[in-house]
Amino acid sequence: MSPAPNRLLRAAVAAPVFDFWSRQFGSIQAWDRCLARVVARREEARGAVTLTLQPNRRFAGFTPGQHLNLTAEVEGVRLTRSYSFTRPPCADGRLRLTIKRVENGRLSNALCELRPGAVVELGQAYGEMSLPQGPGRYLFLAAGSGITPLMALSLALEQNPQAEATLVYWAQRRDELCFAEELRELAARQPRLRLHFALTREPLRLAGEFGRRLDAALLDEVAPDLSALQVFACGPRGFVEDARRLTQERALRFHGEAFTPPEAVAGGAPVRVQLLRSGQTLEVPSGAPLLAALEAQGLHPDSGCRMGLCNTCACRLVEGVGQNLNSGETLAEPGSELRICISAARSDLTLDL
Amino acid sequence: MSQATLNRPLSHAEMDAFGAELDALRTRTMAQVGAEDARYIRRIVAAVRYTEAAGRALLFFGAFPPAWVLGTLLLGLSKILENMELGHNVMHGQYDWMRDPHLNGKTYEWDIVGTSDNWRHTHNYKHHTYTNVRGMDDDIGYGLLRLFPEQRWRPFYLFQPLIAVIFALLFQWGVAIQRLELGKVFSGRKTKAELREEFRPVGRKMGRQLLKDYVLFPLLAGPFFLPVLLGNLVANGMRNLWTYAVIFCGHFTADAETFPKSVVQNESRGHWYLRQLRGSSNLSGGKLLHIMTGNLSHQIEHHLYPDMPARRYAQVAPEVRAICQRYGQNYNTGSIWSQFGQVIWRILRHALPSRPGKPAPLVEPMAEAA
Repeated sequence: MSPAPNRLLRAAVAAPVFDFWSRQFGSIQAWDRCLARVVARREEARGAVTLTLQPNRRFAGFTPGQHLNLTAEVEGVRLTRSYSFTRPPCADGRLRLTIKRVENGRLSNALCELRPGAVVELGQAYGEMSLPQGPGRYLFLAAGSGITPLMALSLALEQNPQAEATLVYWAQRRDELCFAEELRELAARQPRLRLHFALTREPLRLAGEFGRRLDAALLDEVAPDLSALQVFACGPRGFVEDARRLTQERALRFHGEAFTPPEAVAGGAPVRVQLLRSGQTLEVPSGAPLLAALEAQGLHPDSGCRMGLCNTCACRLVEGVGQNLNSGETLAEPGSELRICISAARSDLTLDL
Repeated sequence: MSQATLNRPLSHAEMDAFGAELDALRTRTMAQVGAEDARYIRRIVAAVRYTEAAGRALLFFGAFPPAWVLGTLLLGLSKILENMELGHNVMHGQYDWMRDPHLNGKTYEWDIVGTSDNWRHTHNYKHHTYTNVRGMDDDIGYGLLRLFPEQRWRPFYLFQPLIAVIFALLFQWGVAIQRLELGKVFSGRKTKAELREEFRPVGRKMGRQLLKDYVLFPLLAGPFFLPVLLGNLVANGMRNLWTYAVIFCGHFTADAETFPKSVVQNESRGHWYLRQLRGSSNLSGGKLLHIMTGNLSHQIEHHLYPDMPARRYAQVAPEVRAICQRYGQNYNTGSIWSQFGQVIWRILRHALPSRPGKPAPLVEPMAEAA
């Protein structure tokens, strides 16, 4: 659409009306939201699916190693989780995400069932891990779904002739390895990538496969020159902590990314509340009504009935665990509305306030 | 029948038990809210959009009378559905749990000249928190009508039968300026500058609505400018009359009560529930009536649970009614004809001087003293 009619349209039509008709006509264009259509789906490994997505024009791009928040509706409710891009940006603008099924993973399991044609919503890309242009030697340590950002970085080596990397990728079994074939082909044509698989529960090992967890001896074997390497480790928290303990002191640099579900803390313990709009961070007691706690520190958020019915004080939970003190129900879904007059923080919180 | 014989005053212990039963019903029902409710509200959104599109399309052929009539009816239907079952309910946060930015209580903007922000303040906060409390709930007569004998009579009210009709026809404009509290400007409690500041967003919204219904769509119809403009005017008028009737039936029927300001001091949850019940009245009828009133036909249930998806009110109504019966409370319901008849009677009767009857206490006098 050319800019002038576009402007006129924007003056005359409300966003929800535009988005409604756009979807009715099968388009993924939206007023100001970034929607994406699933254009391909592939069983990547046992319990993992790769989706190729075509985003609309609202997507602003990414660099390999970053993730994004993906939102989809599951049984009437929108759920948002973070997923990593598993290949560098492509000329056709399509994105590739690889999703692992997890026990009780409502969104991940639903995404694994999506078929081409399905539409999801994307946030913008974020994340600090990247492969800057120029010389650099890297050690990539990936465990389980931690392979996803490191897959994109491994592929990015091809566009970065001065970088070289060693990738060690752990899974329990061979059939759980994502991108096994693609990685082997990449390592075969690209001498700047050295590839090792490690399988912790596979009875028979093939040549070149490790059969144990990360330890000092394994590290000596794959990276004798550790002091010259930048280490990127991704995976479950325990794995990333092990990697940090073994390499942080000795390597040139260590960067770890672990997936941690938000956890509630005991009542009364101090938690940090970050308020995005006012740009403030305050400490409040966990379990105490947030409105009163914020007011006690001199803030005046919008409020009304102070009994949880008028919705005036509702604000969006960006991150963390909140609790409705009337019902006792905990709220940890990003994007939930928290009525702060009757809600408490149960962990460090980020609020759109 | 006087209100004193309809409703039994409750002791504090009874009041707490009454509140606990209503809380339990709420918890039980909210636990069921999910995919079905999401599907329902999405269908309502689709109904609003398609009836609007069909109505506006037909109005483009408005020179042909049957097309004009049908187009106007469809557009009016769309506006009623949008204002009531969609806008009003979404703005209460009834669908916030879906986390859909287009169905968010704090950001939804509805298709009337009033701003959603002002509505959220005057309605969600003031009206719902201080329901039928004299001097706190501006919905009691909207500062324009005397509907209860407790309101002080002035000669101005002699004209209210006429004023009420004009107010009904222009109801969306009344809603739009409610928060401006023009009375305060006349009495000198608000400066012109303050009013100008408060009017800015209201004026913007009014301008946008007028532009859409009375300039843009008529212009798109080219030579049929006038039929489209008239169709839009009548559709807005239909919506005004209907919403006015439904809203007035909700709180101004013969047995609906108002309360003095003192009731809200240290009010318990049970007391708050009881006051919501005593100040509200339902409309009995079928599914179509419920949808067309945005389920405000269940005004009682709406006032007990303003943030519960409104389609659930019909489901909880029998239980609410049974609870009311156990606690000796009148469950005020009737056909729209009977309830609106009572509203009209109030408008006529209280245009003339009238004296309050015997007050119907919420709390047992003994308990109050203790």
